[in-house]
Amino acid sequence: MTNAPIILAEHLTKRFGDFTAVNDLSIAVEPGTIFAFLGANGSGKSTTIRMLIGLLQPTVGRIEVDGIDVIRNPRRVRDHIGYMGQKVSLYQGLSLRENVEFYAGLNGLSSETLSQRWGALRERFGLTEAEHEHAEDLPAGIRQRAGLALAILHQPRVLFLDEPTAGVDVRSRGLFWELIQDESDAGVTVFVTTHFLEETDYCDWVCFIDGGRLIANAEPEVLRQRYSEGYRIDIAVPPTDRAHVLQLLGTGTQETDSGVFKAAPTLDAELLSTLDRVAARYPHATIHVTQSPMGDVFRRVLAESGVVA
Amino acid sequence: MTRTRHFWSNVAAVAYKEASVVRHDQALLATVLAQPVMMMLLFGLALSNKPANVPWAVLDQSRTALSRRLLEEVRTTGYFVPPRAVASYEEGRALLQRGGAVAFVVIPTSFRRDAERGTPQIQVLLDGSDPLTAARVSGYINQVAATFAVHPDPSDHRPETHVRSPGLIDLRQRFWFNPTLADQRFFLAALAGMLLTNLCLSATSGGLVAERESGTYEQMLALPTRPIEIVLGKLVPFVGLSYLVMLGATIGAGIFFGVWPAGSWFTLIVVTLPFVLASLAIGVFISTLAHTSAQAVFITVFFILPSFVLSGSMFPYQLMPHGIREFGGLFPLRWYQIASRRIVERGAGFAEVLVPTFALMALFGLILAGIRWRMKPRLG
Amino acid sequence: MSWRRLRTLMRREVLATFRDPFTVTVLITVPLAALLTFGFVLSTEVQHLALGVYDADSTAASRQLIADLAAKGTFEPQRYPTREAMQHALVNGDVSAAIVIPPDFERARRAPVPGRRPPEVQVLYDGGEAVLAGNAEGFLRGLIAATTRDLAAHEAASMRAAHASVRTGVEVVTRALFNPRLDGKPFMVSGTFGFVLSFLTVLITAVSIVNERITGTFEQLQVTPATAVEILLGKMLPLGAVFALDVVLMVLVAGIVLGVWPAGSALFFIVVSSFYVLISLALGLIISATSASTAEAVQKSVLFSIPLVQLSGFAFPIRNMPRLVRWVAEVFPATHYIRITRAIYLRGEGPLSVWPELLLLALFGVALMAFALRTIEARS
Repeated sequence: MTNAPIILAEHLTKRFGDFTAVNDLSIAVEPGTIFAFLGANGSGKSTTIRMLIGLLQPTVGRIEVDGIDVIRNPRRVRDHIGYMGQKVSLYQGLSLRENVEFYAGLNGLSSETLSQRWGALRERFGLTEAEHEHAEDLPAGIRQRAGLALAILHQPRVLFLDEPTAGVDVRSRGLFWELIQDESDAGVTVFVTTHFLEETDYCDWVCFIDGGRLIANAEPEVLRQRYSEGYRIDIAVPPTDRAHVLQLLGTGTQETDSGVFKAAPTLDAELLSTLDRVAARYPHATIHVTQSPMGDVFRRVLAESGVVA
Repeated sequence: MTRTRHFWSNVAAVAYKEASVVRHDQALLATVLAQPVMMMLLFGLALSNKPANVPWAVLDQSRTALSRRLLEEVRTTGYFVPPRAVASYEEGRALLQRGGAVAFVVIPTSFRRDAERGTPQIQVLLDGSDPLTAARVSGYINQVAATFAVHPDPSDHRPETHVRSPGLIDLRQRFWFNPTLADQRFFLAALAGMLLTNLCLSATSGGLVAERESGTYEQMLALPTRPIEIVLGKLVPFVGLSYLVMLGATIGAGIFFGVWPAGSWFTLIVVTLPFVLASLAIGVFISTLAHTSAQAVFITVFFILPSFVLSGSMFPYQLMPHGIREFGGLFPLRWYQIASRRIVERGAGFAEVLVPTFALMALFGLILAGIRWRMKPRLG
Repeated sequence: MSWRRLRTLMRREVLATFRDPFTVTVLITVPLAALLTFGFVLSTEVQHLALGVYDADSTAASRQLIADLAAKGTFEPQRYPTREAMQHALVNGDVSAAIVIPPDFERARRAPVPGRRPPEVQVLYDGGEAVLAGNAEGFLRGLIAATTRDLAAHEAASMRAAHASVRTGVEVVTRALFNPRLDGKPFMVSGTFGFVLSFLTVLITAVSIVNERITGTFEQLQVTPATAVEILLGKMLPLGAVFALDVVLMVLVAGIVLGVWPAGSALFFIVVSSFYVLISLALGLIISATSASTAEAVQKSVLFSIPLVQLSGFAFPIRNMPRLVRWVAEVFPATHYIRITRAIYLRGEGPLSVWPELLLLALFGVALMAFALRTIEARS
């Protein structure tokens, strides 16, 4: 870790009566990264995020966000963070513009600052046409983007997003993640919970939670390496060329009905240049590279941590 | 023939599903259990128009045995608390002004002399803010005064019989069916009706709108069931529940307060059916008016209130101005409370409740027509 | 506290509420409808009550009695040819009370036989309508007693010589302060304020806030820099203003349409009512904090409001209730508010005489608002 973590949770535990929702969770998030917090429904994701932003008091543990002790000063932390909840928080009966003015007013933005920032956000997020529509008339994709825009309106250093892409079509999801990555590029730390495992590809760091416990906490690549068969390379070539390709690719390569198959833990530079040579040599050949779906990774992780998947 | 069979089996299927939903609906069950108990407690124990613990002030300027006896007789009626003696007219009046007394009795200095001359007189000042209480309290005092024996005859053994001068009209009251004139019986006889109104209306209107909001209604329409079968199926469990509540309230009133139906249980059960159907139908009609469940809730509550008030369940409808009295006849509860009161309190048989029963059936038909009219362009 | 944030919160509240036509309609029309219903419809006094008369005597004296009963408009005498016909009418509900004038009415009065009872006018009530009977009884007693006195006075002048010794009965001169005609309207109107501001206010508040919790906007609000006090005030001040406006409207409508104006200071009344509104709003907030759905919020509001309203003295005097229930009634803020309302409206009292109740209300208010704040801040 080069910088001090901007989100720090130590031994976080939350009990509701007999039920333990979060069990001895410790994480550290580096500034400017996109941190994915993955888990199935009921795994303790939402409970954790609500504790991190000061909405819920943990039973045990310490939380620090941007240098502020969240448990002692929940109110102070609100100036530093932006939050987008599971149910997007637009007020019905108000237009999008009026919702923006509302949250701007609560965050103490002057009207000049507001028009400046909103003008820019509006463009970037494609919300211009919807600006004067009433919140209940907006389609899901626009509502999600609007929620994000509202969360970053006051330019917080840390963003907490709780399942921001639930209920949104695939294309909108993609657009949404582009916007998140833009924020991250601009230096904002993004803490995201989701149960779409494929979205980890957009993230710098991943942690899995299951039954309230942390069962994995690393970069997506590392997890893939450790818990999956890595990459799968399928090359479709006619039988005559197969022998040579087999040779080029080296050990672990097998012949299949349509061509050649190799499983590789990583796509390192050497393998990539080999594939380049194959492609150059056999222009008619088609090369498919597939990764282990994160779902498989997750199941592996679960299996290995002793939890039945 | 198969069509009819399908009809009823469809209705039964929907009814079964609805019954399971109801069983898991905690809010509804809480209502079904808690409200009847609470209302029974309220009407059986607490609420009454009959004055009790009446505070009063006395200015006895006569201060003779005669005046003291008069005051004592007022006290022994049991409606009053011990009187507060005041020293002056102004003090008594001020007490009334502050609401510290309902009646202020002034006995003049010349009371005994007036009594011997045959013209005894006292003055009573009332707090007219609550006219009901004032009228009744005034009535009690008047009654004591009117029967007060100025010269009690020593040979008179029975205290209730007073020798009276001619020229006075004796007032004897007899109350039919309710010798102690307890308000309790009045309210409890109509309790079932009020509970049922509440249950039938809120359950159906809220439930149907909630389904429309969550989309399960559309799902059901996609099945080969007809809308009418769906609606009927939904209502069936509530008919059962209503009967449970009605029986529970009637039995409870009997066990805890001794208010048993004087008439036939069977008649009561039969009359309940058109009432329940009419009330359920109103709930369905409301659900066709409301767009959101919050709206349904409001419309329902604000239909139930006038229902309680204008039907005559809590306040006598005979006292209402003419136009409004008739308007109250549009509420099923009006007819049901007439019928149930007749059966419970007067032991009426089926013949006496024919009119209310027909009125209920007519109302049911009317509301059904209204529902069909609203449901035609449904799902729009 | 930031005024800017508070203004932002209030602005949103106002925009969201007033854009919903349904809510606006409910907020304005329901209080007025309640006012008109209770004030107009429910005159607790007796007016034009159908009184069955069976006159077995048919003499000048009996006709005089009937005429006197009809004179003030309190009763509408309906004559029946036979006693059975009249009893039938009583059971049927055609008449609510009935009197039987005995055949020797005039004769017995003119030529009394010493030692024999004076003529009895038998009065029959339908005890099934206890409230009605009770009301009618009070008035009937008073009227007949008055008729008695008139007749007696008329004849006593001629009889004085013969029967100076045996005399019973004391004359009562009655006067009602604050409401000489014993009009039921002011009593009910003043109670209606308590009813509306307790029931309607709590209901609307609970439902609207539950909506916010369900949609997630409340949680979002908790993450903004807005403090709990600002959120509380941002909700309560705009809603409170609307209800205060309602109070003004109700005072005006009660005055113009029903002829009931406050005897005391209208301004003082409006101020006290506005404060009471805040108390009800806090209650609504607390209910919404403990409810997970609209239906639950409504059930809780209704369940809580029913005893609150019934026991608050709005329609049924608290004094008439059993002691334990009276203690319970004192716990409700509504009870104290209604007392203050009646004091101002009916007896013209001012702040100096109602300050104990005001203090109590203030304490309730502080306690409830503190509690409401806790529910907003809750981070269980």
